[in-house]
Amino acid sequence: MSSSTIQVTDSSELSAQTTSRLVLQMARRDIATLFRTPWIIISRSLAFIIQLFVFAYLISGLVISYPDYFRYYAVGAVVSTVASISFIIGYDIFEEAEEGLLDYLLTLPIPRREFIIGRALGGAVRAMIYTIPMFVIVAVLENFANPLSLIGAVLDLFLIAFGVTGLSITVAVSVRSANRFDVVLALLELAVTRASTALYPLNFLPAYVKVFAPFSPVTFAADSARAALTGLGLDVLGLVGLLAFVAIFLGLGATFYFRRLEGGVYA
Amino acid sequence: MIGFDKAGKRFGTLDAVKEFSMTIKDEEILGLLGPNGAGKTTLMLMMGTVYRPTSGKISVNGLDVVQHPNDVRKMIGIAFQDPRVDGILGAFDVLNWHLKMTTNLDKAERETRVEKVLKAVDLWEARNKRTWLMSGGMRKKVEDCKVLAQRPKIAVFDEPTAFLDVPSRLLMWKMIRELRDEGSTVIVATNMMDEAERLSDRVAIVNLGRLVAIDTPEQLKSKTKGGEVLELTLGDGQECPTDLLTQFSEVQDVTQESNKVTIYLSGGRLLLPKIVETLTNRGVKIDSVHLKEVTLEDVFLNYTGHRLE
Ligand SMILES: Nc1ncnc2c1ncn2[C@@H]1O[C@H](COP(=O)(O)OP(=O)(O)O)[C@@H](O)[C@H]1O
Ligand SMILES: [Mg+2]
Repeated sequence: MSSSTIQVTDSSELSAQTTSRLVLQMARRDIATLFRTPWIIISRSLAFIIQLFVFAYLISGLVISYPDYFRYYAVGAVVSTVASISFIIGYDIFEEAEEGLLDYLLTLPIPRREFIIGRALGGAVRAMIYTIPMFVIVAVLENFANPLSLIGAVLDLFLIAFGVTGLSITVAVSVRSANRFDVVLALLELAVTRASTALYPLNFLPAYVKVFAPFSPVTFAADSARAALTGLGLDVLGLVGLLAFVAIFLGLGATFYFRRLEGGVYA
Repeated sequence: MIGFDKAGKRFGTLDAVKEFSMTIKDEEILGLLGPNGAGKTTLMLMMGTVYRPTSGKISVNGLDVVQHPNDVRKMIGIAFQDPRVDGILGAFDVLNWHLKMTTNLDKAERETRVEKVLKAVDLWEARNKRTWLMSGGMRKKVEDCKVLAQRPKIAVFDEPTAFLDVPSRLLMWKMIRELRDEGSTVIVATNMMDEAERLSDRVAIVNLGRLVAIDTPEQLKSKTKGGEVLELTLGDGQECPTDLLTQFSEVQDVTQESNKVTIYLSGGRLLLPKIVETLTNRGVKIDSVHLKEVTLEDVFLNYTGHRLE
């Protein structure tokens, strides 16, 4: 190859079709980072199993006032796990911003909106990869076998993961101070996952949580997944709530923050 | 062609770049020369769509950077001042991923290119070493290699040879020149005058966020008080009769600091014997004579009143 024929990169060559390829590459990159630390997956899965057996199995026997509490808890635990994991992407992006790696990523030829969507997709997929084994354990224990129910529940898991990554990224690109970012994201995670009906039915929640829990996206996802799996059918309200959550934090979030990032207001 | 039209960037109350206008020609190496904090990085990151200009306009091949950021990004490759590489990856993966994101090359073509450039900078053996375990110089080379392998239409290098040893610097200059010869427009920011002088086709001198002068190194130097500098060391306690020297039309300026006299002049070689004769006839004792070319350091001093460092 003679050196004069090497010159390649030209604006016309990176077409619209490549944009979607680049979005997928961004997503793949985020998925790959998860597997750099496989011990996290293993230890978290173990913790999940221990929690499920030692805590829920024993406790559920004591909870007589709520039938099938173990089933309720097990599905909710999977949903709240996928939501928690989905928050991690925000920390990744914040760290990249501090290291300056984000500046580099922002020079790559990806429109900002697609950049955010690619990363939310990557964050959601890796949260799913992480949670699916736990979901399988629960499905086996509880004999969830109806394919449609399973698909419905997986869809719920994916939507909550996608929406939460969007939320987490939105916070990461809008809060500049490291201390505030940690606090804001931790509080949000607590509010979104704990102030929900994922693990405890609404009537059993403390009064101050009861007010917010019906509006938590994790509530939507958990109730909707339980409805799908336990044969109660489609939880329309839950699904609509979930979709709205995703639309707000991915649609609006991406559009709003793409305006801020686009052309480089960042830093 | 790249145009800066009264471009400015304000961070809070600080004007990092102000009223900056210049044109960069296709397939030239433009050196941005200025001390730390002059605004070089800010200028390049505005062009690269990372920072949005707070005033004025910047266009890249006719495309406004604010209106068409993504089209601009497709043409540009930036090697950052501080390496921006994923520390957990090795050089090979860093470069391969960069090419994946910035070119349409297939896997085999990418790998060929990465191999070629890593071999050229002597990092092939260390291609799988995690970049966070590398020395500053090695990491800097990896950063430069991103753009050398990408071969973008517009290649930006921010202080490309900082932390590099002398042989690596010369090699990097050679590779940057090759990039230009193959059709890239190259912008190099530096605070080293020899780098600006030896690498650039034209040099833009930047100080306090403003463009001070832009021209070829030769023109900049020749516009500076004649183009040559005669340095005389006089015997102890000797005074230089300045007026006697400025009567020559070729002599532009004379300064004396203790027993060191600096004479800025044009056609110095021819005038040298006359100057020495004139001074000796006046009884001035000259210990040594040194005739040198004007450097960009002198140019910078001349325009800004202070030295580069
Ligand atoms: N992101 C930023 N926020 C605030 N100030 C900045 C930022 N980037 C650069 N500056 C300031 O702008 C000025 C120019 O910086 P820079 O462009 O990095 O100069 P150079 O590259 O010539 O050393 C400096 O005073 C620097 O402190
Ligand atoms: Mg700089």
